[in-house]
Formats: sequence, C-alpha cells, structure tokens
Amino acid sequence: MAESIPKIKIMKGAEPDLSAATYQIHDESHTIGNALRWMLMKNPKVEFCGYSAPHPSENIIQVRIQMYDGLSSLTALITALSDLDNLCETVEGSYQKSLREDSYERWDEKY
Amino acid sequence: MNQQQGGTGSNTGGQSGGGNYMMAPRQEMEYICADCGAKNEIKSREPIRCRECGHRIMYKKRTKRMVQFEAR
Amino acid sequence: MASQSDINPRRLVGVHAERVTNVSSTDYPGHYPDEDHSWNLATFQKNLKVKVERLSQRSIEFDLVGVDASIANAFRRILIAEVPTVCIEHVYVWDNTSVIVDEVLAHRIGLVPLNIDPALVMMKESVDEQATDRNTIVFGINIRCERNPNAPKGSTDPAELYINHELLSSHIEWKPAGEQEDVFGATPPRPTNLNIVLAKLRPGQAVEMELHAVKGVGKDHAKFTPVATASYRLLPHIKIKKPIPPHLAEKFQKCFAPGVIRVDPHTKEVTVDPYKVRMDTVTREVLRHPEFSDSVELSRVRDHFLFSIESEGPYNPERLLPEAIKVMREKIATLRAAAEALQNGEGDRDIQMADA
Repeated sequence: MAESIPKIKIMKGAEPDLSAATYQIHDESHTIGNALRWMLMKNPKVEFCGYSAPHPSENIIQVRIQMYDGLSSLTALITALSDLDNLCETVEGSYQKSLREDSYERWDEKY
Repeated sequence: MNQQQGGTGSNTGGQSGGGNYMMAPRQEMEYICADCGAKNEIKSREPIRCRECGHRIMYKKRTKRMVQFEAR
Repeated sequence: MASQSDINPRRLVGVHAERVTNVSSTDYPGHYPDEDHSWNLATFQKNLKVKVERLSQRSIEFDLVGVDASIANAFRRILIAEVPTVCIEHVYVWDNTSVIVDEVLAHRIGLVPLNIDPALVMMKESVDEQATDRNTIVFGINIRCERNPNAPKGSTDPAELYINHELLSSHIEWKPAGEQEDVFGATPPRPTNLNIVLAKLRPGQAVEMELHAVKGVGKDHAKFTPVATASYRLLPHIKIKKPIPPHLAEKFQKCFAPGVIRVDPHTKEVTVDPYKVRMDTVTREVLRHPEFSDSVELSRVRDHFLFSIESEGPYNPERLLPEAIKVMREKIATLRAAAEALQNGEGDRDIQMADA
C-alpha cells in the first residue's frame, strides 16, 4: 500500500476558485458523510451539498459542495467541521448534566 | 487461516515442546483404537487391527506442534 | 396532554393507514421564505434536550431532542462500529482434544467479551506490528477433564461424574507481562461473563492454548462491538381530534399499547398519557376501525430520539455515549486538520487532485 494516503483530495473538475468542488474523503463513511452534509446545508451560502459512498468495497466518501457568490467551498467545509465539533461538545455537556442532576429510574438488571 | 509451527516435512527434527528427542531415524507412530482407546502401532504388511479388542478403526494422535489461528 | 397537542406540526412525521408523510426535515436555510434556519449554536443549545430516563448496570435509555437524524445516526453508528474494545484475536493451540475443532473453538473464544478498559491498551497500527505489553494482553487455557473418583454411585450427571466436564469462559486465565501487573492490577483482565460454555469435555480430553487479545473496532469484526444493541426510535405522538363516545372508550384504549390511553373511570373521557405515549408501538390498529379513523391522528416527532443502549463488555452503559462523541470529535479534528492543510496550500493542489 502507498505510504500516507491523503485524508482529503479535491477531485478533478473543481472550479479554480473552489466555489464548486467535490472532496474525496478517505476512510470515512455515512457516519461523517451524512452529518457533514447536514451541517453544510445549514450554511445559507451553500447552494448545493450532497455526498455519496460510491462503492461498498472502497472505504471512501465523496462530498460535493457548491457555493453562492463565488465563495470558497473549502472554507465552508472547515466551518461546518468546527460547527459539528461545537454540536458534539454541546450534546456531551447536556448529557453529562442530565446524568448528574436529573432524577431517573435506576434498576437492577440480572445477567 | 491456520499456521503450523515449524516447516513442512518430516517430524524427526525441529519438534518444539519436548526438545529432548534423540534424532531417531523413525519415530514409531502411535494410533488410538476407536473402540477401546488402546494405544496401537501400525506396521506395514500387517492387518490394521487393535491388539486389545480387534477393532479395525484407528485414530491418529493429534500433532504435538503448536497451531496458530485467528479468532475470527 | 397539553405538551402533546401544542407541538409544532413541522416536527411531526405523519403515520397514516398505508403511508407516511412529511418524512424529511425542512429546517434548512431557504426552505421557508423569510425564515432563518442557518446554523446557530446558541439556538441549538437552547433547543437541545438530553434527558436520561433509565439506567441499569448493563443498559441505558435516554432522550435526545432537537438534533437532526444524521447526528443521532452518527452516534448510533459510532457506538456499534467505531468505539474500540479489547478482544482475543490470536489463538495458539498446543492441545485440543475436545469435540470442537480448533478453528471453531478459536472463533468462539474470540467472541467472549473481556472487562479490559480499552483506554489502557494501545491499538496495533498494523497486523505485523510487534506484540508488546502495551498492545497485547495474554491469556491462557489449560484444562483437562477427568473422572471424579468420588462420584456418587448411579449418578448420570456429568457435573458429578467428571471433573472439568465443561470449558468455561472462567477458565481463560490472565498472564501478566511487563508493566501489566501495575497497569491492570486493580481490575485483573477476565471475561465479563464467567459462565459461557465454550466446549464440553469428557475424561481424557484436554485443551491447552495461549490467547492474545488486542484492541480493535466493530467495523473490523463484530466481536469488538462494545454494545449488544444501540438503537433509537422516534417519540410517538397521538392527537385525538374528536371526543371518543363513552361506550367506545375501552375499545379505543385497546387499540394502543397498555398505559398509553387513559380512560376516566367516571366520565369515560379518553386522554393520551403524556409520558407513556413513548410506550406506543404505533401499530395503526386504531385506523382500521371506521368509527375511530377520522377522530385520531398518529405521528412521530422527527427530532425526538429515544435511545436505548445495552452495554456488553468493559464500558459502563453511561460511559458509552461520551465515548462515541469522543470518537466523533477525533474524526472531525482529523478532517479539519486535513482541510486546513489543503487550504494553506500544503502540497500543490494540482497534484492533490484525484482522478475521477
């Protein structure tokens, strides 16, 4: 196997200013693909976003991003990733708070 | 999927586990009677028959070599 | 009842007799004119609700409200496929005269869940990487079945007749190596369940093996999955549009799961129990009866997830979601680093471009 496959590649046919591009992400699946697509679509500057896992035997996803106003899709991708991270942090905080403070049923489960 | 210890070929040398074997020209192979479990030897041009009970089915003993598997 | 009926209809997925409606989420910018649906952390924090409902030593149930299905599904998928555990991977057989053949016994042993905290073990980077005390835990099995000389006369019970008539998960014995005695000393590695029968034995049969456990993830092999199940379903929502005639109240109640519908003992007034609606299975039985079909609306709340996670293995059930979120954030960090490297022009972009 080739040494150090790049995690993200910009596929052929991207606009030179990256206002529309398809990103090939190595070693990821629907787990990240769908969540990332949703977060990109929450960005009003994104004209279109879609993803696919082209073949089940290739551990790869492709994310297509098209932007309004000639903005960079790469910047939108980075923004979406940091927003997704904030989301995760919020969910975790809220979960830990509920676990600590809420009253919930505790029961004894036998093997 | 499994790998046997040591190379292929004769069981005279390279045996693990014991290691105190002499380099005997031919180790007599022991077989187990399928009926009574007695130890037997099988010699060429002799009928395969248990010397205890006369049963005609013998089992070969399991290899003393280590065999490696993937737990999958 | 109040909280059930004043729910925003946009959040509902309609469940009708033969079809579902409003399945997709619509909270995207540009979907509704003059409404802002762009990502906003403050709004998200305000609308998000996570509430633990039930917890035992093996399982947890909690509500996750206010997230998109793609997020809930990411957590579920990570729980099953990407939260690491430690399992037996290599089996070295010195002797196995049981009736279970080597490869089947090795497979069975691999599936046994172990109590090893995966945080204390390093993941092997490649299959060929050298086994060390940091990435491999060694176990041994050495068991021989014999006749019990003190067996009661006339007994037919194998447990009385023989010694070691079963190879159990409790016979898997930890062999500490290197620093492991100090690292794992407090909780010695062993199977979480000591009563799993791996093989049955009879006098003269023996099993002698060395077992090497390594860290892995569920997408590589199901034995590494830390959960028995990790699933979610959407909260059911029942709206009674017209009063149910008192003489039909009990019949109406029986169309739903027990406890979901309350019937007032005096007035026979029918109401939905606001907490127990979650118990409903949304069978649509009620819609089969013409007298009820236009007096009720069935639906599910699109962004209200009822998670149920059963732990199997080393993690306490309440620790599983945080571990999944940790894995998710590590993925995001890797991707972000790669995307930023791309933006800073590390490596010529023309060369980076992949062929279609």
